[in-house]
Amino acid sequence: MVEVTLTINGEEETVVIDARDSLSDLLREKLNLTGTHVGCDHGACGACTVHLDGTPVRSCIVLAARCECSDILTIEGTRNDAITDVVRRHFHDKHALQCGFCTPGMLMMAVDIIRRYRVPSEEQVRAELSGQICRCTGYMGIVNAIVAAADELDGQRATA
Amino acid sequence: MAAETTPDGVGQWVGKSLPRKEDKRHLAGASTFIADIRLPRMRDVAFVRSPVAHGRIQSVEIPEEHRRHVFVLADLQPLVPIGGGPEMATFRNVAYPPLADGKVFFVGQTVAMCIGRNRAGAEDIAAEVFVDVEEQDAVIDAIAALEGDAPLLHEGWPDNSFIDAVISEGDIASVADAPVKVRRRLKMNRQATNPLETRGVIAYRDHRLDELVVYSSTQGPHVMRHGIALALGMPEHKVRVIAPDVGGGFGGKNRLMPEEIALAALAMKVDHPVRWIEDRNEHLIASVQAREHHYDLTLHATREGRVLGIEGSVHVDAGAFALWPSGPFMETGMAARNLPGSYTVEHLQIRTHTVATNKAPIGPYRGVARPGACFAIERMMDELADELGIDPVEIRRINLVQPQMMPYRTAGGLRLDNGDYPAALDKALAMIDLPALRERQRRGEPDGRRLGIGFAVYTEQSGHGTVEWVKRKSRVVPGYESATVRMMPDGTAHVLVAIQSHGQGLETSLSQIAAQELGMDPAAILIRHGDTGVSPQGFGTFASRSIVFSGGAVAKASRKLAAKIRRIGAHLLQVSEADVELRGSCAHGGSGSVSIAEIARAANLRPEMLPPDTRPGLEATETYEPPESGGVFSYGVHAVTLLAHPVTGVTEILDYVIVEDCGNLINPKIVDGQIIGGVAQGIGTALYEELSFSENGQPIATTFGDYMMPCATEIPSFRIGHMVTPAESTEFGVKGMGEGGAIAPPAAIANALNDAFRFCGAWFFETPMTPRRVSDAVVAALESEAAA
Repeated sequence: MVEVTLTINGEEETVVIDARDSLSDLLREKLNLTGTHVGCDHGACGACTVHLDGTPVRSCIVLAARCECSDILTIEGTRNDAITDVVRRHFHDKHALQCGFCTPGMLMMAVDIIRRYRVPSEEQVRAELSGQICRCTGYMGIVNAIVAAADELDGQRATA
Repeated sequence: MAAETTPDGVGQWVGKSLPRKEDKRHLAGASTFIADIRLPRMRDVAFVRSPVAHGRIQSVEIPEEHRRHVFVLADLQPLVPIGGGPEMATFRNVAYPPLADGKVFFVGQTVAMCIGRNRAGAEDIAAEVFVDVEEQDAVIDAIAALEGDAPLLHEGWPDNSFIDAVISEGDIASVADAPVKVRRRLKMNRQATNPLETRGVIAYRDHRLDELVVYSSTQGPHVMRHGIALALGMPEHKVRVIAPDVGGGFGGKNRLMPEEIALAALAMKVDHPVRWIEDRNEHLIASVQAREHHYDLTLHATREGRVLGIEGSVHVDAGAFALWPSGPFMETGMAARNLPGSYTVEHLQIRTHTVATNKAPIGPYRGVARPGACFAIERMMDELADELGIDPVEIRRINLVQPQMMPYRTAGGLRLDNGDYPAALDKALAMIDLPALRERQRRGEPDGRRLGIGFAVYTEQSGHGTVEWVKRKSRVVPGYESATVRMMPDGTAHVLVAIQSHGQGLETSLSQIAAQELGMDPAAILIRHGDTGVSPQGFGTFASRSIVFSGGAVAKASRKLAAKIRRIGAHLLQVSEADVELRGSCAHGGSGSVSIAEIARAANLRPEMLPPDTRPGLEATETYEPPESGGVFSYGVHAVTLLAHPVTGVTEILDYVIVEDCGNLINPKIVDGQIIGGVAQGIGTALYEELSFSENGQPIATTFGDYMMPCATEIPSFRIGHMVTPAESTEFGVKGMGEGGAIAPPAAIANALNDAFRFCGAWFFETPMTPRRVSDAVVAALESEAAA
């Protein structure tokens, strides 16, 4: 057993883990932060995407033990985030989710895409989403929602 | 009257793109999927699975220190073996045991189960359990499986066939001298269903309620309750099945699987909750698998291009067992019966073989059989067109069922109820610029890629009831759905239904229907589903049935309740009942109105306010089956334009047009989402997804590293054209449409690839058309040209 201390959604947590536990194990099984979903457990589907020190990672293939002193943001930590709320609204308007299982990972990725590209093209969004699997929507609503959210957020910046 | 429906079915709420109620919790990461459930003292289960495809178990060696935590079939008794498949004497059956019973039949079959403090701990124990198997030759090919020297899977069977049957309509001999014959072999390979949420089960005994609680990520909790009660030999009132948020299903979560029985049985043996969450590897090797059809077909046609008859055989590679309840024969029968598709073919003669092999059992997957049948007939139509030098669009015009022929009984015995198929084809053509595309095709691409345009027409049987399922000899006949509408004292309501949404947005669309009938706001209505302890009897969500059946039941129950609300409202307003109308959450009559909330208060809390002969309470239950039991048929045309590289074999979809008609729409946005999602899965079938096996039955695709799931870079944007021909027999004129999107893409894309490489004669008769298959086809064509 290993003890790690890390910041999760702004709160410092000290958690006892197995050395082999993944970050998704820590979040889901130790802290009951079940908004981070595990779709493949081998780093291929992107459902478990969270931000680690500001960068999106697949939490199922990040060892929890290497997260000592890290700053983790999960979907639960975005519930009052104004930027994520804009993305959420466009996901809702554009029918960008059906079963909802991939959605938290998609949102975490979407916010990062918008942060990096500011106003991404459809093509850029599709390329950036290439590690996120959605089985329900055919991606069209997701891509449209991210593009529209980025446009709106850019407009806000312009008028700010 | 409550319903404010105009003749085209659009009313105050029905027909509106209401944003989905489900979204809020999902967008917050606050939904409850099965792996999110936390119960005190819950332990995880890992299965020991067969490492080989076929063999006799010599022993299961369990280290002594783990003996208490490892369970084999003998430890789970008493169990009742339950067989799946149609109730037919000619269907050979053998029950699929929850844990292996002496023999293993495919790689990944459950042999033992291990309990650990967490999943990793359970897997540690599983890794120490040694299954000694005397390996036997594996049966991997459905056609070779029926040859004399094939090893036998099941003792006592004369060969490896579950059932052989001939689907015959008309008189194929009468077209034996047709001037044109086109014979081709086609194959649609095996797929995984791959909802992003895998399956999962949690089971425990609730001593207070004296019931076994089984949480399962399932599409049909009531049917699963029945199956679990049968398998455990338990009275059904002591079994409760709950489906929480279900992260996609697509058919793959609609069969009683060994893990569900095993976890339920285990919960009866231990004093704590047990949980098993399927991992992706387990999903890919041992979950419900799908498709794998072999076709050998001959079209008999006139020189003018009219198809007179279809003759040949269909082999469905069904895997080792028949899943409860329905088994694999439905797949085979539907594949054969859907071969005439949307065409006026009069004679059909298909020998069908439903074949047992050393693979995981197949079950339903979006489209069920029809993606294969559509692929086969639509490819054959293009082959006939090529043979006769007729344009692919023209060959379809010649053969399509015309609107004035509706209702039309196909040679497959299906009653196409209504619609205008040629108009759908015209509409698709109007949405693309075919002459311009042909010109571009003639010019060629600067990068050497080839442009292809492909068409496919499909039909989608939906909302079929008792007669159709009895015809299929189904042991469970999903001939109705039920709904209870229960109004609270403040005028808000619950609607209890037995269908199970796994992404279709039924909490939204069903609340629109109830709101429409009750003159209320959908926000005041909550749909409750997925819990046998809550909902009336029903069958769940599959076969494109939920909006027809459950929507109909909700409409009927809501109408019944609305009548009572009007009666009470009339009494409170002192007007006659006939003068009362429900709208805006109020009963209006004469010059006055009273809120539904006030009526609900009277009915539930103030019985002295009720009319003399009216009983208290506001609750109504109804069952519904549409009068046309053979189903109503959605249909459509897909037109795809793609570029494919002759050397790399990589295909890029440039444009994808869908014209579809599913009758009236309850929620157009949800309908479009279902179409697009279905087409995306169909593109997976067409180009990427395949479960293949080594010669000794080892699965080759065991992770998302080698099972190619289409991502945002593979799936294009779509253009959708709607036509609306309201169904005549259903509430609101709706037709089911959840599967249609997945039916036509393999056909349309294969036809487009054929079109792209027509110049060199490369043929595409097998899915998925991976870069390897495309480039191999081009090489084979060029070599045969060189040899000629």
